[in-house]
Amino acid sequence: MSVLVRIRNLALGYSESILLRQLSMDIEVGTTLAILGANGSGKTTFIKCLLGLSTSLAGEISWPNGRPREIGYLPQMSEFDHRFPLRVRDLVAMGSWRGFGLRSGLTEDKRKLIAKAMDETGVLSIAEQPLHALSGGQLQRALFARVILQDAPLIVLDEPFAAVDQRTEDHLLEVMEHWRREGRSVVLVVHDLSSVLDHCTQALLLGDGMATHGTVEDVLTHERLVAQGYLSKSQAAWMLRGPAMNPGGSGV
Amino acid sequence: MFEFFNEMWSFAFMRRAFVATAVLSVSATPVGAFLVLRRLSLAGEALAHAITPGVVVGFVTAGLSVTALLAGGLIAGIVVASLSTLLARRTILRGDASLASLYLIALAAGIFILSVAGSAVPLGSFLFGSILGIDNASMILLGGVATVTLLAFALMLRPLIVSTCDPAFFESTTRRPWLVEQGFMLLVVLNLLAAFRTLGTLMAVGLMILPATAARYWSNTISRQLGLGFLFALSSCWLGLILSYLLPETPSGPAIVLVAGGLFLLSALLGPLGFETRLRRRVRAGSGTLAHMRPEGKLP
Repeated sequence: MSVLVRIRNLALGYSESILLRQLSMDIEVGTTLAILGANGSGKTTFIKCLLGLSTSLAGEISWPNGRPREIGYLPQMSEFDHRFPLRVRDLVAMGSWRGFGLRSGLTEDKRKLIAKAMDETGVLSIAEQPLHALSGGQLQRALFARVILQDAPLIVLDEPFAAVDQRTEDHLLEVMEHWRREGRSVVLVVHDLSSVLDHCTQALLLGDGMATHGTVEDVLTHERLVAQGYLSKSQAAWMLRGPAMNPGGSGV
Repeated sequence: MFEFFNEMWSFAFMRRAFVATAVLSVSATPVGAFLVLRRLSLAGEALAHAITPGVVVGFVTAGLSVTALLAGGLIAGIVVASLSTLLARRTILRGDASLASLYLIALAAGIFILSVAGSAVPLGSFLFGSILGIDNASMILLGGVATVTLLAFALMLRPLIVSTCDPAFFESTTRRPWLVEQGFMLLVVLNLLAAFRTLGTLMAVGLMILPATAARYWSNTISRQLGLGFLFALSSCWLGLILSYLLPETPSGPAIVLVAGGLFLLSALLGPLGFETRLRRRVRAGSGTLAHMRPEGKLP
């Protein structure tokens, strides 16, 4: 597999606090990478750095085969203004706003692509609805359709399933599986240990200034989750005793 | 009635005022709509006060010169905005607190300089606007600002919508996101300066914000909000001018903004996205529940 992103000696944080001391890893083409960590461990800072939206304290992020022109990005839904006066169709069309010329409107081809993306995520029937009338799940489906329209080789999702119902999560996981089959790379911040991890090939665990990267099975062990402050010892003990989540059959 | 309009129209300064406010409505409406959508309504108000010392210094040193007004206002606006950003980044204060502190200082300093140094413009018309203040140079300023604003919107409407709706997403799709942000703030300052003669420094933001918020109660799309906002702005201006002509002691600024305020309150009460619909929805939901509780279970 070829390397999409090469990260070397990356340090993240602010002048007063260091979130991550040193991270070296490669993200290969076609990988689905889950990023986990306690609150304030640097998950969002890491993906913003990857997208070029913020700078690192030290280290380097390079793109051996060139940075893709388009990177699909889904920010946290909590940052989104639900009352913005747009229809679902307009929100989805934003995914290809750079392709519109100064004077040209939407071409027939673009309209078809927008309709196809909305159909894939199940929002075609509510295409004319204003955003303020949508539920959290419907809005997230519309935002996934916008990502589809970006048609990017790398897709970055920040807590995509944080505020959606199980049915929507299952549907959007299918969309993510489809991206994997198409050979796209996906980096997603996961807010808890859940079945989402079954759909990921790699994991990056952040916490206490440390980072552990590898396969989901290797990274998400009880010992590591406790060591990096993601779980307390009592939580880990309860999970070992009880009906614990079992991401990827990893024995967690 | 006809005689009244005839008499009003016979005054050149009134004809000038009607044209000037129509031009102002064209340019202030889209700027105001995006101020509201970008959640910068209060920052716009602060910026209007922040430009005061620059405008006053311009007046005191160069009289009623439009160039001095533009230069002074732009410099003061940029200084206050930069200082506020610096304070928010380097000290414990948040952006709103630093901007509020600075605009209060700027407004007080402006009025202080005006009172001490004296100027061709009386304090009342400086604060609240005057239809008599619209001379040829002001008309050129209004026309120039409206042209620049419309051209800028034609160029950056799409990125402006994307950056307003979802700033994080927008930043991920472009290398120079600051261009849109800074360009928009420049348009805000230019329009504040253009509105200054008609509406005064205290009321300049009124024509930007109120028509835009009133229009939001009636529209679910930006294009509709912009169109309706323009109609509200234009009718507020013209009705306000008539009001200020009828009551000669009333400055034009508050008269125009009061009419815009009336349209806003009416829209909040009657608009499909205002109180009325929510109330109706609640009543409907309530009656549904009652019907459900009835033995036959039929909806009314």
